[in-house]
Amino acid sequence: MSREDTGTRRAVDRLREAARSPTRDGSNRLVAGVAVLIAVTVISPLLWLFLRAAAVGPREALSILVAPSTLDVFVNSVALVASVTGLSVALGVPLAVLTVLSDLPFRRVWTVALSLPLVVPSYLGAFAFVSAFGPRGELAELLSPLGVTIPTVYGFQGATLVLGLFVYPYVFLTTRASLLSFDTEQLEAAQTLNHGFRSAFRRVVLPQIAPGMTAGALLVAFYALSDFGTPAIMHFDTFTRVIYVQYNNFGRGTASLLSIQLLAVTALVLFLESRLGDAGGDGYGGGVVGTDSPVASLGWAKLPALAFCALVVGLTLVIPVAIFGMWLLRSGPGYASGGIGFQWDFAINSVYVSVFAAVGTVLAALPIAYVSARSDSRIAQLLERSTYVGYAVPGIVLALALVFLGANYFPWLYQTLPLLVFAYIVRFLPQAVGSTRSSVIQVDAKLLGAARTLGETPRGAFRRVTLPLIAPGLVAGAALVFLTTMKELPATLILHPTGFTTLVTYIWRVQEAGYYGRAALPALVLVAVSALSMILLLRQEGDDA
Amino acid sequence: MEDDTSSSLRRRRFLATGAAAAVGALAGCNGLPGGSGGGSGGSGSSGDGGGTLSLSSFRGSGPLVENRASLSGTRIADLPDLSGELTIYLGGGEGGLYRDLLAMFSQIYPDFTARPREGGTAQLANTIIEEGENTPADVFWAVDAGSLGAVDEAGMTVDLSGDVVESVPEEFHPTGRWVGTAGRARSVPYNTNALSAADIPDTVMDFPETDGLVESMGWGPTYGAFQAFVTAMRLIEGESATREWLQGMLDGGVTEYPDEFLTSNAVADGEINAGFANHYYALRVRSARSNAPLDLAFTSGDAGALINIAGAAVVQGTDQSELAQNFVRHLLTVEAQEFFATRTFAYPMIPGVPPVGGLPTIDELNPPSIDLQELANVEPTLQLMRDVGVL
Repeated sequence: MSREDTGTRRAVDRLREAARSPTRDGSNRLVAGVAVLIAVTVISPLLWLFLRAAAVGPREALSILVAPSTLDVFVNSVALVASVTGLSVALGVPLAVLTVLSDLPFRRVWTVALSLPLVVPSYLGAFAFVSAFGPRGELAELLSPLGVTIPTVYGFQGATLVLGLFVYPYVFLTTRASLLSFDTEQLEAAQTLNHGFRSAFRRVVLPQIAPGMTAGALLVAFYALSDFGTPAIMHFDTFTRVIYVQYNNFGRGTASLLSIQLLAVTALVLFLESRLGDAGGDGYGGGVVGTDSPVASLGWAKLPALAFCALVVGLTLVIPVAIFGMWLLRSGPGYASGGIGFQWDFAINSVYVSVFAAVGTVLAALPIAYVSARSDSRIAQLLERSTYVGYAVPGIVLALALVFLGANYFPWLYQTLPLLVFAYIVRFLPQAVGSTRSSVIQVDAKLLGAARTLGETPRGAFRRVTLPLIAPGLVAGAALVFLTTMKELPATLILHPTGFTTLVTYIWRVQEAGYYGRAALPALVLVAVSALSMILLLRQEGDDA
Repeated sequence: MEDDTSSSLRRRRFLATGAAAAVGALAGCNGLPGGSGGGSGGSGSSGDGGGTLSLSSFRGSGPLVENRASLSGTRIADLPDLSGELTIYLGGGEGGLYRDLLAMFSQIYPDFTARPREGGTAQLANTIIEEGENTPADVFWAVDAGSLGAVDEAGMTVDLSGDVVESVPEEFHPTGRWVGTAGRARSVPYNTNALSAADIPDTVMDFPETDGLVESMGWGPTYGAFQAFVTAMRLIEGESATREWLQGMLDGGVTEYPDEFLTSNAVADGEINAGFANHYYALRVRSARSNAPLDLAFTSGDAGALINIAGAAVVQGTDQSELAQNFVRHLLTVEAQEFFATRTFAYPMIPGVPPVGGLPTIDELNPPSIDLQELANVEPTLQLMRDVGVL
């Protein structure tokens, strides 16, 4: 909660006294209807997959689906999802605890720095890693005279490491949000009751932050499932990489079949998570505004903790930025250049389209988040879960689906910004639904009842009570969508309006042509602009330190 | 890149082959090699008033481009004006440079507007196929034959008129519905301090058994062009011979590089004696470092001599068919071919424009007879390379 809300909150607290149970009326049904409509709209483009897969004969389809190579890819993908999620939790949760609950020095600086890896696109991060640690990489060259050899960065371990390092901030941020809204007095109380910090943490804190952690872990899991750049650069075969290979071979039928199989994996993960999640309680604390004043003293562990933070920041920020910088200083392949000069317009275009995507996604997320937070019905849960489908599917699949639908049924929308923004909404909806939903859960339903009792219309109650309380959740969702849109490549490349160049399409253009040096400036601009919005995101966590 | 190489002393030796020396001083370098076609170069000035651009405006610069021979073929001035707006799907690597050429066309023809739309070649081909008859594309201009072939097979191309393709060798317009605009040849860059041309086998399959190359070769197996080369080998020699070849190279201690520019650069530095790379990378190295002890050898009639192309097609469903055909014709003019030859160091497609850097002409090379469209099937190649442990 930010400070401005405290006034509202105080007024609302008084209303709470007067409250009776919330009234349910037609407006709830309207919201539910809108939510269903949105969910159906964002999923429907993927029906195209079945159209394309149907072109493959049933026998051939079966042989593709059970081919040993397909099974390998299935196992690889599941293993990568599991390992990346595990690594992200292993990094994100301790770092969140350190920066919220402990007396780590410079907590604010660390918080910003530890969130920033999220803004480095994985295709650049992985590339920087290979440039640094790969065979003949910068560090390998530096260390080889000393007789130090670096283990190979390629394959499963490399893909896990790079993906984990660049996406753990999802877990870090959602866990932080939970910790911040957690009433630390409970932890202190537990500690006074003769529990050590560790035991108090396990018994008091962990159950409260589990839903936040899970939300972040889901975003990580499906990011790992749908990412193309990292597995491709790390030479690791996953569904997404094989789907790309099929598209490059014009095997659209096979690509569609594999995509449907990937959707099945998605459904399985969502199902498993919903079984696990049931135990986790319903929210990010009970609407109590927590503080991030430290409650645990690190003592002797201060130095190791600092070293841990520094190591993560070093790997995820210092190395990529140093590599980009090195590209910037070096001349590229010696051939005439032209037609590809960097323009600041590209950065403006990126920000412009990302702002629309962020606003559009939050607007689409709000009804779904509202319904799923307010109702325990299966339909409501299904609604929320369905938003993950567009997120888990590789960008190229969604983009080609929208090419087919756009060019043939909505030609007036095709290759326009609205259709591109729609693609972003489909891709990134769950990022906004997650944070919005958790903030809706925090709003005490009795408050709305109180407002209604005092004569507010449903809309008035929403505007005056709910909206101010959930604003931080909305802004956090918007910022996440903004960041991921800034770095989104496949859909942008396929669906952008002709002549509309963004930072990532420009980076793609110069990398394709082999001018790595020219990718450095836009890459640094991308990271810098995204970092600014990340700072905005973190401000929303509350300035009450 | 220069920094890490400056420590090498060996590269100081002067390179006598190739480049300027070989082409001789036929025409001087004033960029107006008189002769055929008349007209276009004459008025010279590259002022902004539209109209004409001299041939030298299309020509690149640098040591490799000096002393160009006189060129022949259709010139821009011989063709009807380009007028109107064209949406061009521009696939792949040379995107930036191709944009420069489009800008030059617009400078010559103020009424001509090109709307380039970039993307991966295969992605754009898939896009055109999904769009079907409603595609906004008028022209598909892509850097690989496989993508052109896929669009062609989907029935999304129209017949190019005879006078558009007639100047290009037949193997580069096999169906008549797309035509090569520039070529790139597989080659063997070698260090002239360590090896002579005679040390390089004429047959790519002999490389693993060649004593002089053991522990001194480099390649870039993650690079698309290298995989296309292995695909060609698989198609020509069969799977098991290809597997043996890859294994033989591995056993011979081949060094891996991230791409073929760096492979060529390492050859110039003497880190390795020879490598496998597209021909233009060695030219890029030499263009930046004209003294580099680097030359190119070509194998004959096998995968090692593969020539792949960038090419263009007029897209089915365009309402600008006439303009689109005329545009493709412009890509095959002396000026455009000189642009590709001297700025991207590609192989020109018309016989009247020689390649730069003393390269053998396309007729002198002996590429394998292989359907370029089949090169798109790279998946079994990747599988094979992974089995052997190359990837």
